Amino acid sequence: MTNLAEAAPARAGAAPERTPARPAALRKRRRREALWFYLFASPWIIGFLVFLFGPMVASIYLSLTDWDSFTTPNFVGLDNYRQLLTDDPVFWIALKNTIYYSAVSVPLGLLLGLWLANLLNKQVRARKLFRTLIYLPTLVPLVAAAMVFKMVLAPSGPLNDVLGLAGIPGPTWLLDPTWVKPSLILLSVWGVGSATVLLLAAMKGIPRELYEAAEVDGASPTRQFWSITVPQLTPIIFFNLVMGLIGAFQVFSQVYVLTRGQTQAPEEASITLVPFLFDQAFAFYHMGYASAISWLLFLVILGFTLIAFRTARKWVFYETEVK
Amino acid sequence: MAVLTGVAVERPTARQTRTVRAFRATPFTYATLMIVSAVLSVPLVLVVSIALSSDQTVNANAFTIIPREFHWENFTRVFDTSLPMGRFLLNSVIISIFAVAGQMLSSGLIGYAFARLRAPGKNVLFMVVIATMMIPTQITMIPQFILFKELGWINTFLPLIIPNFFSNGFNVFLVRQFVSRLPREIDEAAMIDGLGFFGVYRRIMLPMLTPALIAIGIFTLTYTWGDFMGPLIYLNDESKMPLALGIQYISSTSAAMQAPPWNLVMVGSILLTLPMIIVYYLGQRYLYEMDISGGSAGVK
Repeated sequence: MTNLAEAAPARAGAAPERTPARPAALRKRRRREALWFYLFASPWIIGFLVFLFGPMVASIYLSLTDWDSFTTPNFVGLDNYRQLLTDDPVFWIALKNTIYYSAVSVPLGLLLGLWLANLLNKQVRARKLFRTLIYLPTLVPLVAAAMVFKMVLAPSGPLNDVLGLAGIPGPTWLLDPTWVKPSLILLSVWGVGSATVLLLAAMKGIPRELYEAAEVDGASPTRQFWSITVPQLTPIIFFNLVMGLIGAFQVFSQVYVLTRGQTQAPEEASITLVPFLFDQAFAFYHMGYASAISWLLFLVILGFTLIAFRTARKWVFYETEVK
Repeated sequence: MAVLTGVAVERPTARQTRTVRAFRATPFTYATLMIVSAVLSVPLVLVVSIALSSDQTVNANAFTIIPREFHWENFTRVFDTSLPMGRFLLNSVIISIFAVAGQMLSSGLIGYAFARLRAPGKNVLFMVVIATMMIPTQITMIPQFILFKELGWINTFLPLIIPNFFSNGFNVFLVRQFVSRLPREIDEAAMIDGLGFFGVYRRIMLPMLTPALIAIGIFTLTYTWGDFMGPLIYLNDESKMPLALGIQYISSTSAAMQAPPWNLVMVGSILLTLPMIIVYYLGQRYLYEMDISGGSAGVK
């Protein structure tokens, strides 16, 4: 393999160097290069066709059928979509919960991250220690993190113990329909370290002269934060907002670990789109119905991404002249 | 415990220290950082504390945030009780090793081809590579499940491993960008010296690609090691479960009868977390070399 691979193109590669005026040799060389490209890229092309494109087309078709994965699919047209949108209250609850979770957890995480990054960007001693302690929770795999929070948020768990010391009767968190969503948000805020570290790295890139000039002009540190730091960071904040929203819309493991398997779990209060889809597909074998949910989820994500890009023109600052 | 050292720290000069008040740390700065770090660390300390507690302490809910008792035998108990924790760990290791190997083997070659080789249709194909990054996995999840079911791969590791040997849009993009930044003269010289395209890849590119491939390895490992949904869909037998699914399984199955063995579940959580901290600590300089934050921020 190696001999063949090395010998053949080597001759072809050397030929045009000497005789650039021979189009036939050049064409041959180009064709060979193209063949090598398709050979090297073939794993991705095959993977794309088998694991992505094929399944995508299949998913569109399945979403138009009623199918339990055992019998032959029964074509029902847009019935799944009609039922989801007009006749399934759980879908709307899941959608509402998903939007609530995403709209609170993502901006909250970014705001806290921005605040912490700004503190770490000052000349603090033991910066590495603080940064490490803030970042460490993000290295805990989601399932393990959810396990810990299941423990922390238990009705007689540590958090309620602390609240009890302060004289506040804590709620039952994961078992309480009003508190189960804030509990999930609390878990996501625990991972504020990733946004902090990213924003801190970006803050280091802001030219010092901007602050010095502002200082000369008599701007207060607060003013400098809002007029220099924040505008300079808007591109990276925007990027993280979009990626964060896309991720938050697909929230699954936390919801599953924290709210399943408990007898009094308020599932309806915490169900989001992907767990809803998962149940329909793998608990009830409504494969067609679940496929339709996946496309609606895609449209929701797409819609929110487009809205974010729309608003970006108003608040994202792109420095054009200075790179 | 300096986990993060890769970020370039500009040392301001004495003059700047005096002039720019925005960078001056006040007692308030320290107070806030201390409180925030402490609050964020509480769950981690608590995990260790519970993991070191005896069964009685856990059942009575009598554990403390700062550990008071040290039952180190919990760490060996998880491997010899009726809990198949050792099996879970082994399964995680097997799945992760193959997944990482698959991504590292395939992504490098594919990314190199997209960066360097010329072929008709390549640009269109590269647009497809980028477009695939926008498709949520949930869309392909159900047909993929059907596909793997038809292949008889349900309740095996194959659905979690094999797709990695075909790389994915993100990793192809990552390598392609990385190779594009390397000077073209290097591989042109190698070709004139008689190396073919594969020879250039193996002898010239591969050594230079190491940081990119290690970054890909870390991403794949982090994803596969912590993946919950994939194993939940494809694996049914307790003996096949990886650790991430296994600890959830233990904590939920015993819930009906009695309280789950929280101390052992927390030992499992530590076993799940520790490798991630070690890998991050060892690999962070490669991640920063890849300039993930700046690179991705520039894409848009």
